[in-house]
Amino acid sequence: MVSIKLDNVSLIYKLHEKLTLSAPDRRLGPTGGKIEGAGRKQFVQALDSVGFELKAGERLGLVGPNGAGKTTLLKVLYGIYEPSGGSVAIEGKVDALFNINIGFRREATGRRNIVLRGLINGWSEAEIEEKMEDIIAFSELGDFIDLPFKAYSQGMAARLAFSVATALDPEILLMDEWIGAGDASFQEKAKRRMDELAEKAGIIVLASHSESLIQSVCTKRLTLKGGRVESLTAVPVKPAEAASASP
Amino acid sequence: MISALNNALDDIFGAMRLRRVWIALAHEDIGDQHRRTTLGPLWLLVNYLAFVGTFVFVFQPAGKDAAGYSAYVAIGLMVWFYLMEVISLSVSLFKREESFIEGTTLPLFVYVMRLTVQSAIRAGYAIAGCIVILLLSGSELTMAWLWSLVGLLLILLATPALITVFAFTGAFFPDSEFIVGNLMRVGMFFTPVFWVYNGKDAIQRYAYQWNPFAYFLDVARIPILSGQFPGNAFAVTGTVALVMWATALLLLGRYRRQIVFLI
Ligand SMILES: Nc1ncnc2c1ncn2[C@@H]1O[C@H](COP(=O)(O)OP(=O)(O)O)[C@@H](O)[C@H]1O
Ligand SMILES: [Mg+2]
Repeated sequence: MVSIKLDNVSLIYKLHEKLTLSAPDRRLGPTGGKIEGAGRKQFVQALDSVGFELKAGERLGLVGPNGAGKTTLLKVLYGIYEPSGGSVAIEGKVDALFNINIGFRREATGRRNIVLRGLINGWSEAEIEEKMEDIIAFSELGDFIDLPFKAYSQGMAARLAFSVATALDPEILLMDEWIGAGDASFQEKAKRRMDELAEKAGIIVLASHSESLIQSVCTKRLTLKGGRVESLTAVPVKPAEAASASP
Repeated sequence: MISALNNALDDIFGAMRLRRVWIALAHEDIGDQHRRTTLGPLWLLVNYLAFVGTFVFVFQPAGKDAAGYSAYVAIGLMVWFYLMEVISLSVSLFKREESFIEGTTLPLFVYVMRLTVQSAIRAGYAIAGCIVILLLSGSELTMAWLWSLVGLLLILLATPALITVFAFTGAFFPDSEFIVGNLMRVGMFFTPVFWVYNGKDAIQRYAYQWNPFAYFLDVARIPILSGQFPGNAFAVTGTVALVMWATALLLLGRYRRQIVFLI
């Protein structure tokens, strides 16, 4: 059964862990998490006793100001960061989209990039071959698929990234703010695919500043502030959506 | 200790399951570096031949040793360039892979193997050039060449460990990138790459006896040049390789989850 359970998770970025001959230099803006400690022992408490539970079919929207800890939380869920405290229990195959350019090679064609991305996600050659045409069709890149990735616009890159990440039906899909890069028609398509995924009892966690995206995709909203959970509420289903969803 | 070992082996086996990833990426790397050039990766061969040619031209002793010196330099430079490239690229490895490390959950050993394959491919071009020089300079193909081959395999086996150790060093201590870069450049003069140890000079003796690189060169060089099995050189190289592997496993087991916070 697909599920996510976080209990009392905290994450600390230590700032001066590296040994260096030069004077310490770290730029940190006034927004964001809490900068604590002093001198060589400075650290940022990016997540502070975060706990929640998600069951199959739920779609969580992460909201909060810049530096609230949304990206950090997604990276903890994906397993890139080991939490400094607390426990994370995840059931299901996780796929994530953080930054459109991650894992794409600028010089390689879109088609070759799909192969590389597939291999990185642990797909077999046969699976990649089988999904290739679907991915290209969904991305609507047409002939651009055989041009180098560096010739793509941000929106085109976003289409390709999203198409690849959702092609093998991940059970849990994590997405950072970037999804806004696609145009309206692609966002609509992406939303439909996310709905399908959720209907297959998957879980989606989506960080976004777009209220309308959260409203239309998510069933729950988690507001983070300074690394702490400020509120966890259900997203009310809009009457129009409810009507069109069950004709 | 045991848990560190388990942790390290987890990472390594994970990377072995994803071998198609690092093989594909290594090929892309080589391709990218030579895209839009006319000779492509053949430039690697040209570079190597140009270097050997220059050294032979400048330092070749007069008389009957001449052919032997070409062979000496050809093998010496082949191994030295390989080691220099592996080590210099290792210290900045995790930094260069930053976007992958922060965006995917690939085992760190994937990046280590990617660099290993990339370096081995490049070395392949130098090896081809080296064989041509050896044959042109009149070296005879003998069974002793097999010992040199074993020596090269030993160096190849040590490579992932060397990369891991230097990559962690570079991540924990960023200045090491420049320190190591400079040391390797200077190291060429303190290693018998192109000069021949004559048994008298004191500085040369230290550079020969206390420099592990000298033994790495010898395992590949002595069998072809003298037809003998250099037991001592093999013993030292093997020991260095084992120590490096032990250190690499320890570092990987203890600190692999910390790397993402350091780069
Ligand atoms: N690599 C890092 N090193 C140090 N601090 C970091 C790092 N990444 C993020 N932070 C800090 O952690 C906090 C949360 O950041 P992040 O999760 O990126 O926020 P969000 O995605 O909500 O904008 C911020 O205060 C940020 O400064
Ligand atoms: Mg963010």
